[in-house]
Formats: sequence, structure tokens, C-alpha cells
Amino acid sequence: MLRFLQISNDTLFIYYLLSNVIYFGLLITAIFKNVVHRRRLASQRLELLKASPFTPPITLIVPAHNEESFIVDSVQALLKLDYPSLEVVVVNDGSRDLTLQKLHEAYQLQAARLLYIADIATAPLRAIYRSPVEPRLLVLDKEAAGSKADAINAGLNAASSPYVCVVDADSILEKESLLRIVEGVFSDPSQVVAVGGIVRVLNGCRVVHGELQEVRLPKSAMEVMQVIEYLRAFLVGREAWASFNMLPIISGAFGVFQRELVKQIGGFRTHAVGEDLDLVVRLHRSLQEKHRPYHINFIADPTCWTEVPTDLKSLARQRARWQKGLIDALWPNRDMLFRARYGRVGWVVLPYMWIFEFFAPVIELAGYFTIGAALMLGVLSRSFFMQFLLFGYAFATLISIGSVLLEEMTYRRYNRWRDVARLVTYCLFEHFPYRQLTMVWRLQGIWQYFRGDLRWHEG
Amino acid sequence: MGFVFSAIEKLGPAGLVVKAILGSLVGISLLIGFIVLRRWYRARYFRRRSERTFALRTQWDDIVSGKIPLRNWRLDALDSEIVESILLDGIETATPEQLPGLVDCLRRSGLVDLRISEARMEHGWKQRTALLALGRTRAVEAIPALAEALDSPSRETRIAAVRALGRTAHREAAIPILDCMAAGQLDVPEHALKNALVHCCGGCPEILLNYLQQSQGSVRELLARVMGELASAGLGEDLLVLAADPLPEVRASAARALGGTNTSYTLPALHTLADDQEWFVRLRAVLALGQIDDLGKIRILLRSLCDTNRHVRQRAAWVLAQMEPHLQQILEDVVAGKDDYALQTFISELERSGAIDQVISNLEVRAGYESVHAALLEVVAAARRQVEMTGKATAAAAGSS
Repeated sequence: MLRFLQISNDTLFIYYLLSNVIYFGLLITAIFKNVVHRRRLASQRLELLKASPFTPPITLIVPAHNEESFIVDSVQALLKLDYPSLEVVVVNDGSRDLTLQKLHEAYQLQAARLLYIADIATAPLRAIYRSPVEPRLLVLDKEAAGSKADAINAGLNAASSPYVCVVDADSILEKESLLRIVEGVFSDPSQVVAVGGIVRVLNGCRVVHGELQEVRLPKSAMEVMQVIEYLRAFLVGREAWASFNMLPIISGAFGVFQRELVKQIGGFRTHAVGEDLDLVVRLHRSLQEKHRPYHINFIADPTCWTEVPTDLKSLARQRARWQKGLIDALWPNRDMLFRARYGRVGWVVLPYMWIFEFFAPVIELAGYFTIGAALMLGVLSRSFFMQFLLFGYAFATLISIGSVLLEEMTYRRYNRWRDVARLVTYCLFEHFPYRQLTMVWRLQGIWQYFRGDLRWHEG
Repeated sequence: MGFVFSAIEKLGPAGLVVKAILGSLVGISLLIGFIVLRRWYRARYFRRRSERTFALRTQWDDIVSGKIPLRNWRLDALDSEIVESILLDGIETATPEQLPGLVDCLRRSGLVDLRISEARMEHGWKQRTALLALGRTRAVEAIPALAEALDSPSRETRIAAVRALGRTAHREAAIPILDCMAAGQLDVPEHALKNALVHCCGGCPEILLNYLQQSQGSVRELLARVMGELASAGLGEDLLVLAADPLPEVRASAARALGGTNTSYTLPALHTLADDQEWFVRLRAVLALGQIDDLGKIRILLRSLCDTNRHVRQRAAWVLAQMEPHLQQILEDVVAGKDDYALQTFISELERSGAIDQVISNLEVRAGYESVHAALLEVVAAARRQVEMTGKATAAAAGSS
């Protein structure tokens, strides 16, 4: 028993050390990549890109399920985006509220009998609407299939542009974000098959009619913690993975994909819980199997602002859903692990996702038990335990502050001294009890997944 | 301090952890310190820059005209940077009358020469900044220095050089790019090349023709795409040669280019391209037909409406649905063609354009005294139902599969 406790504590120490060292490596890579990218931006002129005859048309797909409070402002803001050739396809996914009626009123929608070829399977379509006042808008009304993926697939079937961008109805894209993200495609259009942009926290910001007026940090601690998490995940994690062409996920809130390629792999998996992660992993799989050179890109300056949960219950539900999405994408693709044909995706990023993302809450929980038991049985030196705890705390804080620094050095969305001071301060406090709560919610997600609870729609 | 380190040494393996803790804490302090210092420095810099910009702006006309001696601002690094950036911004939005004065001010101040020497002597980021600034000056004497940078071993530098050459918008700037491309030595993203060439060759697409005739493979395709955007009637029958090119990309670009011309050969050439064996060539030809005024295009588009490729059919229908005064006749022709796919596609595009109601109400008016229109109305109603069913049926079929 004592031997077991000793081994498990050593393993835990190594696991924790490795996790932080890897993230530290990602931080260094991300700092380098972001600084280079920031400099490169200085040579780009968006107005030239906008005026270029070679800038491709884009279809924005907006899945909407019970979004009556956002939908009109959101569509209005999307139609105002700075992009030369834009189509917006809103997919009303069986909303039970006034989502469709609000769109009817705002855009004088008229039912139109348009040819709709369902290349990808979706729940039945009830009607297609066009707007005489806004020809760029198309609204699909379909029966709910219980998944966002199904709504996106319907949008994919109706989209007419070579590139599609999936946007959440309650999110806000910055005016130039599409031009900026398309620049990522142009770095090599023959190889770049998808590009992800950054998602930032909208809470606390001033928004008027779906347009962002002023960036501010949210007031509550829980929301600020999420700001730090988003900075760490996007500016550090995604930027670094993408620089090695191992980006495992493009956020469902904002990403651009080659439409035909997504169709070729059957679109978004209808019953996937984390359809965004699932799609990108399947894209990697498909392209690696075809031996096609490709790049899945991430660019940190095209920004999408999204509301994050403001209460513990919603946050718990979101985190549980993310965890379910993770296992739901990893499990069907487990055969990619350590297989030469899947290259670095199979050898590096997927094992990382399994070990340091999926198993993290399980190992953390096990760690609390074994350390507690070892302390009680006197196997673990109290001073070493304290040192370990302090080291873990300090190293993780270093990485969090590093991501705030990265934000400061590059995109500087938070301009006020007070906001930056609060961000840095919360980096010091996010390890207790926020981290432990996250662990519990993620464990709930695992439990729900194995129990078969795979719902997408909330409430 | 020595006693601290000796104490750590005595801890043995645990000492390593303590060192790591201390390292992390020092790291945290450094990061916080760096953030604070950087913020403070930037705030100070921008405040000072704002003050100097205001001061220079109040004397702007005198600075540009040279009434204020150059030494008053040119030898101060910040002032010089501000004046250069204002001048470069001004050049981008200047009218033809304003432009010479602004460029002349840059020349007189020696800023163009400074940037040329930086573009030649510096490396990395500084060189790229100089290249881009040179491009923005639109000064012809900058072109040789920009052209030299096309041979840089750094891809980023080559991209900056291409972009800068494009920004000069001089036809002379296209030549080094085209020479490098023809020699197969220019590894730069296609988009940057195309945009640069569009800017440089905007008024003289014939420059591209020589290179197009001599090049092969992907370079030829790229040049053809640029030509597709720039071609005008002035290119004459050279476009017909491109329309018969063995490379489908070139034929597609020729189709696009023909859409911008309105000559006696435009329609026959597009007719041929609308029957091409490659679907995307046919698609471009259909889109080009949408751009020309000749009513003879209707016959060609009606044939394209029965194309084997869905995209071609849909685009042909879209073009036809825009031809407002002729919709009635087109509809009758489509119905007479007895191709259900073509009819459904056309009806769908009439729905999309919003013209369907007008077409139907016209038919309803005539149906009262002409049985042929009553029959047509029935066919249209059936086709509309069919279109509606197609969406539901395909969704249901896909859903059940």
C-alpha cells in the first residue's frame, strides 16, 4: 500500500511537471509566433485585400436555436461586416421561441422555393426564406435534430461560396475579422484548408445593436478567470499547436473552412457533442489518409467576442459539455494514436489530448486522494508536499501571466491599466477554488458521457 | 545571499524543487515588471508622439513646400518618423495634383534614399519595413532596390518586396516580378503575386501577354488569372488565342476576360467556351455571358441551363433570372426545352431574385385570354411544387440513409 502511494505520488509529480513544461514550451512558441505575426500584420493593408478581385466569397453559417433576443442584432452586425462578397445563411434549428418571427419582421422574409440539395444528411427542412430588403440573407427553417452540427450541415448544403465560416448567433465578429481570417487562407490557398480565429470574452464589454463599442473586463471574478482561460487556450495553446500544423480544434464560434472539403468528409458529425473538435480531427484524418499536403491554420487577430457563463450552474454545464465533446471526438478516432500514417497528429497532439486534457481531471482527483492518504500515513514529507504545491502554483501562474503578457505585447484589447492589473491579479488566484471546481465539472462530463447523456441544447 | 544557496544545497533533491519555485517566482516578478514597464514606456512614447504630431501638423503646408528648413525636423528621429508616416498616408489618398508635391517632399528630405539604403543594407524586420515604406512612396527610383529584394533568401522579405512593388502601381514594377516568375525563382504566395500584378499592370495588361505566351504550367495559370481580371477589348484577338489554350485554367481566365469586352468576337468565343469539356471553364463562360449586353447570349445560356454540372446550371439560371424584360420569353423557352432540372433550376433562381411573382402575375393576366399561358402557368406551378419537394425529399432521403 505504502509502495503504491509512493509510486502514485511520484507519477503525479512527473505528470504535473510534464504538463506544465509542455505548456511552457507552447507559451514560448506562441510568443515567438505571435510577435512575428504581429509584425507581419504591419505589411498588410486590409483595404487592398477588400478591393482585390481575388478575395473569395464567403458564406457565414449561423445556427440559431431559441436565439430570439440576439438574432436580429446578430444578423444585422454580420451583414455589416467589412467583406466584399458575403452571404449569410441563418439556420433556424427548430426554435420554440420567436427567433424566426423576429427575422421575419426585421427582414420582411418571404418563403422562396429554392433548390436545396441535401448533400449532407440533415433533419427535414420546413422552408427557405429570402429577404427582398437584404439579398445576401438566406434563412433556412428546419426541424430540430438536437444538435448544432445538424443545423450547420443544413447551412453547408445551402451555402454557395467556396469558403464557409461558422458563427454562433450570440457571438459578435469584429468588423474586419473576415478579411483578417481570409488572409490566413491566402498564405497558401492550395494547402490551407481551414483557419480558426480567436474567441474572446464579451462579458463586461459595451455592445450596441450587436456591435462592440468598448472592450472592458467583466466585473465578476468567475468571468475574469474565464478571460484568462480563453487567453491561455487561444493565444498560447492554439497558436502554438497551429505553428506545428497540429491544431486539434477550431472553435465552433468562429472558423473558416473549405466548403467542398467539409462536404467530402460528410460535414459536421450530427450527434457529435463537440462538433468543432470532431470536425478538425476528422479533417486531419482524411487529409493524412489521402497523403495530401495541408495546413490547418490559426490566426490570433481576427476576433470573435462571445458571452461566457455568468453563473456557476451554466459554467458547470458548459465545462461538462466540453469534456463530453472531447471524449466524443477522441474515442472514435482512437485508431489514429501512434500510427505512422497520421504523422505528428497521431504521435503528438492526440496523445497529448488524451493524457493532459481528457485524463487530467481523473488524475487530479486521484492525486488528491493519494496525497491525502500518503500524508495521513506519513509516507509523504510535509515539507516536500508544500514545496510541490508551491512549485505547481508558481509554474502555472507563470504560464497564465505569460499569456497576459502575450496579449499585452501583441493585440492589447484590454487598454485600461485597471483591466490589466486585474487580469494579472486573478492569475495569482485562479488555482483555488476555480481549478478544483473545473475538475469536478469535467468529471461530471465524463460521467454523463458514459451514462449516455449527449444532449446539445441547453435547458 | 550565500547562506540561502548553501541552505538550498543542503536540501538535496528537494533543493531542486525549491530552485524551481524560486525560478518561477522570479519569472512571475519579471513578467509583471515587464508588463508595467512596457505600459509605462508606451504611454510616454505615444503622449510625446501625439504632441509632436500636433506641432508638425500645425506647420504642415510649410513642411511640404520646404519653407521650413529640413534640419528643423529631419534630424530628429521622432519628428522624421512622424513626417514620413503622414506623407506616406497622404500619398495613398492623394489626388494626381497633390501627389508630386508629397513625393517631392520625401525626396528632398532624403527619406527615400534612406529607405533605399535600408532596403539594401538591413536584414530581417528592418529591411521589410523599409521595403514596404518604399512601396508606399510610389517613387520610381525605389523599384531597383525592391527588385533586388526579390532574390532574398527569406520568404518574408520576398513577400514584402512583392507587396511593395505592387503598391508602387508602376508598370515598370511588374517587370522584375514577371522576370523572376518566368525564371521560376519566385517562391511567394500566389495571392500576393496576383494582387501586385493587378496593381502594376492595371492600365497595361499587354505587358502580361508576352510573359503569358512564354510561360508554362502554374506560372501560366497564374498570369492567365491576372489577365482575366485586367483584359480589355484593347487586347484584341490575343484573347481568342488564350481561349483556345490547352490549359483549362487559362481558358477559364480567357472566358472571364472576354466578359469585360464587347466586341464582335466576344459572343462566338464565349459560345465555344460554354461548351468546353471542363465544367469550371463553362461556368466562367456563363458568368462572363452575364456581363455582356448581347441578347444572343440567351440561346447559349438556355443550353447551359441543361448542363450536366449542377453549378453551371445554377449559374446559367441565375444569369437568365436577371434579364428582367425577357423573363416571360425565357420561361417559355425553358418549358419548351422539356428539361425538368433546367426548369426547376430556373424557377428556383426566379424565386431567389424575387422576380417570380411578377412573372406569374403576367402569366395570370394573359391566361384569361390565351390558353397557352394558362398551360404555362400550370407547368410553372407544378415546377414550384417540385422544387419545394426536392428540398424536403433530399433531406428526408439523406436523413434516412
